[in-house]
Amino acid sequence: MTLLSVDNITVRYGRLTALRGVSLKIEDGETIFVTGPNGAGKSTLLKAIAGVVPAAEGAIMLRGQVITGATPESTARLGFSMVPEGRHVFGALTIEENLMLGAGMRKDRARVGDDLSQVYDVFPMLKERKDKPAGVLSGGQQQMLVIGRALMTAPRLIAIDEPSLGLAPKVIDQVYETLLKLRDSRGLTLLIVEQSSTRAMMTGGRMILLRSGQVVLEGDARTLARGDTLKKAYFGYGEH
Amino acid sequence: MAQRSSLLARTISTLIILILILVAIAVVTKLAGSRPFERTVVEMFIRVMLVVGIYIFVGNSGVISFGHMGFMCIGAYAAAWFTIPAVMKQVSLPGLPNFLINTQLPIFLSAFLAGLLAALFALIVGRILMRLSGIAASIATFAMLAVINVVYSNWDSVTGGTGSIVGIPFYTGIWTALGGAILVVIIAYLYQISRSGLALRAGRDEATAAAASGVNIVRERLIAFVISAFVIGVAGALYGHFLGVVNPDAFYLSVTFITLSMLVVGGMNSLSGAVMGVIVISAIIQLLRWLEKGVDLGGTTLAIPNGLQEITIGLVMIIILMFRPSGLTRNREITWRLKGAGKPSE
Amino acid sequence: MTALLQILFDALSLGSLYALGALGIALIFGVMRLVNFAHGDYIAFCVFALLWPSIDAAAIVFAGNLPTIILIPLILAIGAGLSVLSEILVFRRFRNANPATMMIASFALGYVLKNFLLMLFSSRPKSIDLWSNLSQQVEIAGARIPLLQVITITITIVILIALTAFLKRTRFGLEMRAAAENFTMARMLGVKANRVIMLAFAISGMLAAAIGLILATQTGTVDIQMGMSVMLVAFIATVIGGLGSLPGAVIAGFLIGGASVLMQVILPLEARPFRDAFVYGAVIACLIWRPQGLFAPKSAKQRV
Repeated sequence: MTLLSVDNITVRYGRLTALRGVSLKIEDGETIFVTGPNGAGKSTLLKAIAGVVPAAEGAIMLRGQVITGATPESTARLGFSMVPEGRHVFGALTIEENLMLGAGMRKDRARVGDDLSQVYDVFPMLKERKDKPAGVLSGGQQQMLVIGRALMTAPRLIAIDEPSLGLAPKVIDQVYETLLKLRDSRGLTLLIVEQSSTRAMMTGGRMILLRSGQVVLEGDARTLARGDTLKKAYFGYGEH
Repeated sequence: MAQRSSLLARTISTLIILILILVAIAVVTKLAGSRPFERTVVEMFIRVMLVVGIYIFVGNSGVISFGHMGFMCIGAYAAAWFTIPAVMKQVSLPGLPNFLINTQLPIFLSAFLAGLLAALFALIVGRILMRLSGIAASIATFAMLAVINVVYSNWDSVTGGTGSIVGIPFYTGIWTALGGAILVVIIAYLYQISRSGLALRAGRDEATAAAASGVNIVRERLIAFVISAFVIGVAGALYGHFLGVVNPDAFYLSVTFITLSMLVVGGMNSLSGAVMGVIVISAIIQLLRWLEKGVDLGGTTLAIPNGLQEITIGLVMIIILMFRPSGLTRNREITWRLKGAGKPSE
Repeated sequence: MTALLQILFDALSLGSLYALGALGIALIFGVMRLVNFAHGDYIAFCVFALLWPSIDAAAIVFAGNLPTIILIPLILAIGAGLSVLSEILVFRRFRNANPATMMIASFALGYVLKNFLLMLFSSRPKSIDLWSNLSQQVEIAGARIPLLQVITITITIVILIALTAFLKRTRFGLEMRAAAENFTMARMLGVKANRVIMLAFAISGMLAAAIGLILATQTGTVDIQMGMSVMLVAFIATVIGGLGSLPGAVIAGFLIGGASVLMQVILPLEARPFRDAFVYGAVIACLIWRPQGLFAPKSAKQRV
């Protein structure tokens, strides 16, 4: 079943076109990586889906509903949970408040408590400090918190923008390990933006390469990694 | 140098058009020959000086200032000190130093000195305030205005306190005011194509990039602050010579808000916006005043109730901003090709 | 000692007004980056709601005659209603506008409100007898303190505690705090923007109404300008406290109130008329020292 379909969207910031005619489909339970050089429009793609920036053209559908032009809160309520670049914890709120904020829109109140203890099981470090302001956490811990917070929204699809940005390699491994574990145990769909394609090749899944606001390559991450098509497409060789 | 002259060639039409508009208004007013209307137009020209003065700082730096009417206060009182006859000063302002009491300067010299005094004050205060940015800078300029207002309201022997000082020679008529407005528009234009003006605008739009390319934002801001203070100080002097009286509350909150509103409604990042904001808002106010007095329609006089004028002008401003959040000129300059004016693009 | 106590009560009761005002401005700034210059006119509007419209010099008290138990909720509701209405009719359309445009729009709205009152009531201040029995004095540790001051301070403390409890203990409060810190992120977690903003406006309007009632009781007059000075100081307090920090706004409100009263006492006689110049001078010094505010939340730094 198609969970999310992005159909030919174009996004402009003033005179600058960040995305031009981008299309993609995400099936339920899939893991999909979006990579590409700086300024390729990766973050813009996520923001457009989340409803934070408007799409000038094209349509976006989530779980069979058109969400083009919808507010971020209504898209979130349909099960799209976004973890934007730079993590964005609420530093003045406690860790538990950060987590509970994500649960506010849920109808299944009864399960919220279970989910909270499950998040604490996965990230015991969060439980230890649950009453501390989130601002005191380190970068890696904040990344855990925002993933936990995204889980608390009971999402169908989690979109993560650069989860490894600014983290030590060991911590990155930890983040990915947790993500994949959660994907398998909860049947989550993952949409991950990474500037480098290495992680996608290691993890596996589908990969989309964006450059200058357009999809230039799409396919299985491991297959693509074998040839040098990826490298060529990434840097734009052989086009002139 | 070559770059500067090509910049001049590309943008000079804006200056010419703005001056022509101002001259046209003055000529039409003279031809209409109504005294009260002429006074309204004089007041509008002084407002052009004030708003363009604010624009020199706010438009180029992007920092909202609530404090500029303080310079108007300084300028107007300085004009009073310099031009009121000695006999009157001895009685009403006994605290003035002797040399001031005994001098009575020609009006233009006095207005120039009034501007210089405001500029000097801006230079001193600005060295501290220009380090601030954003809303902290706005609040600090407001605090400066409040300090000026408190001092001028209470230093009775030098300023006459909250009462009005009378006896300032009447001088400002329509041609003087027009001359003042044109002069200020020229100063603003020259500043914004100057090296400092360009650097400041670059800093406004791309703070990090400008700093990286060696722009000293604090210094450029200070230059704009001092120039705008000079201009507004002169405007204050001319205003004193227009009304013949000054009192501190004429230079406080309401004039601050009305001038800022004109700037924002016109488009705060363009000189054309500053000028057009004043003209359009003044025109609407005048229109509403006429309606308030009553319009003769085939024997029956139709008049809008008193007080509705102010309410309407407020609503009109809100509606303009709703549809044109970046002002009537959309922050662009009017040019020959009318590139900036009419075309709805974005 | 008794003199000191008197000064303390003066400072606290003046600071209370500023703190309530600053809170009202900070709440709205937090959720939509709007500096609401109409706030002072909300205060005046709520006070005039006690009267029947007339341009006579004498006030015709109308709603003001209702029993206290009905009157207070009524005026608070009027404040909240006016505030929410202005968000729906005006500010909602400025969500994506730059701060200067929003600020001028709010000023224009205040101008409209002010002149609406002017049309109905004329510009003359009117005297009003609202809970005048509160003007008696009470003795606290040997010092004679106006009962009204005690009540003002008590009410402010009650409001602050209630608001804190609301913000800390309820779902709405959690959403508001989150929205104040990072509005877009809060929305991406399903927090409804319109609901949070309307709630902020409602509370802000109620705070304006509370200030109006206190001012009317303290001064015994009703005046178009009455909200203005409180609003300006409150605005300053919001910035000094650190934009986006509600506790900061409250503390800064009390600080400015305290500084004003203290300067009145310690300045030499001939400098006293210039008291406010010293207060505003201190404000500038404070801004230079901490441009991001005394109690700025870490996350708010880069945004202003």
